[in-house]
Amino acid sequence: MTGFILRRLAQTVVVIALLSFFCYFLMTLMPGDPIDEMVAANPNMTAEDAQRLRELHGLDQPTYKRYWSWVTMIAGGDLGYSRTYRVPVSEILGRSLLNTSLLAGTALVLSLLVAVPLGVWAALRKGSRVDYFVNLFAFAGISVPSFWIAIVLILVFAVYIPIFPAGGTSSIDFGMTPGEAIIDRARHLVLPVLSLSFLSIGTFVRYTRAAMIDALSNDYIRTARAKGLSWERVLVVHGFRNALIPLITIVTLSFSTLFSGAIITETVFAYDGVGRLVFLSIQRNDFNVAMVAFMISVSWVLLMNFAADLLYGLADPRITYS
Amino acid sequence: MSATATDLDDAARLRHLEARPMWRIVLGQFAEHRMAVAGVCVIAFFLGVALLAPAISAVTGLDPNRQNVLARYQPLLSWEDASPSERELQVERFLRSGDRTALADHVRRLGLGGPDVPQAEVLYELVGNTDPKQLLHLLREGPPPDAAAARAQLADFEQVVAGFRSFHLLGTDELGRDVFIRLVYGTRVSITVGLLVALISGLIGLLVGSVAGYYGGRLDALLMRFTDALLSLPILVVLIVVSAVDLGKLLGGTPLAFIVDHEHESVIKMVIILCAFSWMQAARLVRGSILSIKEQEFVLAARVLGARDRTIIATHVVPNVIAPLLVAVTLGIGNAILFEAALSFLGLGIQPPTPSWGNMLNNAQEMVQHAPMLAVLPGLLILFTVISFNYIGDGVRDAIDPRAIRR
Repeated sequence: MTGFILRRLAQTVVVIALLSFFCYFLMTLMPGDPIDEMVAANPNMTAEDAQRLRELHGLDQPTYKRYWSWVTMIAGGDLGYSRTYRVPVSEILGRSLLNTSLLAGTALVLSLLVAVPLGVWAALRKGSRVDYFVNLFAFAGISVPSFWIAIVLILVFAVYIPIFPAGGTSSIDFGMTPGEAIIDRARHLVLPVLSLSFLSIGTFVRYTRAAMIDALSNDYIRTARAKGLSWERVLVVHGFRNALIPLITIVTLSFSTLFSGAIITETVFAYDGVGRLVFLSIQRNDFNVAMVAFMISVSWVLLMNFAADLLYGLADPRITYS
Repeated sequence: MSATATDLDDAARLRHLEARPMWRIVLGQFAEHRMAVAGVCVIAFFLGVALLAPAISAVTGLDPNRQNVLARYQPLLSWEDASPSERELQVERFLRSGDRTALADHVRRLGLGGPDVPQAEVLYELVGNTDPKQLLHLLREGPPPDAAAARAQLADFEQVVAGFRSFHLLGTDELGRDVFIRLVYGTRVSITVGLLVALISGLIGLLVGSVAGYYGGRLDALLMRFTDALLSLPILVVLIVVSAVDLGKLLGGTPLAFIVDHEHESVIKMVIILCAFSWMQAARLVRGSILSIKEQEFVLAARVLGARDRTIIATHVVPNVIAPLLVAVTLGIGNAILFEAALSFLGLGIQPPTPSWGNMLNNAQEMVQHAPMLAVLPGLLILFTVISFNYIGDGVRDAIDPRAIRR
């Protein structure tokens, strides 16, 4: 068990390290150059100044050397300085990481709460009208572009029936009590969470339904019924318990889709999270922020996958880590 | 439904006894999946639209790139007049395209275009001062010219004048471009990207998966670790980073540099990037099937007969993994369209002026209050297309699954 965890952890670290270099290399290939932008913004800057700045920031060095100095900087606990926000990266990052976790976490819980009962219901009524509509809903969920559902939600619930704010993370604080502030945050969360959940609900419903149908077609279900157990007990203990394993797999895989969805959702709703930070910092050539935000989001997803691997053992004692 | 043998008449019994080839069984199974058949119809329609885009453009006289700042954000079903400068441009083009003196004489005889205007400028005056809506009426109401030359020129001119008014079925966008024709051309771009990406990444997946599955050992471990690592990434984050790359910096000086200034640079770039990150599912699927196939007797038999690896993979293994691969490719089309749309929406994918469903939504969000249809329509098309491909994939999966065959 410990051997498995260590090996898996080592693998994750290697993947993260390789990705960081890959990403650093890509950043050097992006259009625009911070120094060029400074030159464009400041007419008094001479070519010598630009050259001096380039040397000061090490931009005249080859990529691998710059990467190495970036790594040593990060290892030393310094995340660098944001060129566009004009504050240290660590200051922006903590807040947006928290916001994204809140958004993605709520969306995950909501979609599980909606999808699992729906999937089980459809599995029990396989082939019926209920099954048909749940299926249609699930297909719509996996097929709808997430940014479009976000725009439609804004159109319906912020423009036509203005009950929720169209975007932002919270209102500007004019002496709100803590209770009001929480309600305000929650109101800003409703539409982003709904739009983010839509996709995962579709995926989860389909997998729950398939896993449940599969589990219920086993012989031990008939045995359990034959020995006189109540249908509810059979359903939960023998059926759902066994449907849980494929479900965990898909929940694991959904961390990465959830994060991808978060970028879109955060951008459409102007929600202050890591996904939007990655997008904006890349657009604005703010490499320090982009690198760190990218690394954090990738590591977060990889670590979640790792955690879910360990969860398998709890769900299915037959799985051994070897 | 379930008739016992005694209920059947002879003809029905014969039908049941008749041996059917595999593809007919599969086709019959597929036809029973109603949503999948509906999906095929929808996709056939969109493919038709995509293929006929230039024809639609020619028939309706609409140009996906023609801008008109005087007619931005027009509602659905609106008429729009070309601006005076646009009209003059058209007339100039008309005058240059041949001898127009007979027509000018005719127009002057009708008393149109003002009395003191020199003959060379009579047509300019006419289109400049008359409402385009009435112009056609004026030309048609007057007595027809006697000379054949003038009649021919008048017919040509009427066509030019008719082009001054255009009908916008679905309104216009933020630059006054016709939304309908842009959607038509967007269909072309989005479906092409979807199909290409799914096919190419299916091939890459087939290659990687079959090499990994067939040879096993260290190569397999290496390839699969790589595949798993790619699969576990938040794919859109990676796509955003990769698509922000400047192709000029990457490909400058290499044989691939021709892509950089290509007319469809952003489309090619999109296809390459999406392929690079969407072959993993197919690879895992293929590897899985191959692991089970290579243990079977017919592979052993082929090897005993002295077949080389290449022959065994191509003639025995690949045909057996085609079916699951087909499902993955069909589902992959929908995903590719979604990713293309998402990236184009963020402004990183297909670059304007080439229209794609995704980049048409790019600017729509800001004006969602005034022109909601601009945001709703492209999204609906994406939804319909992707859901159709997903249902087709589902239908294919059901149809080729031997356990699901209902006889």
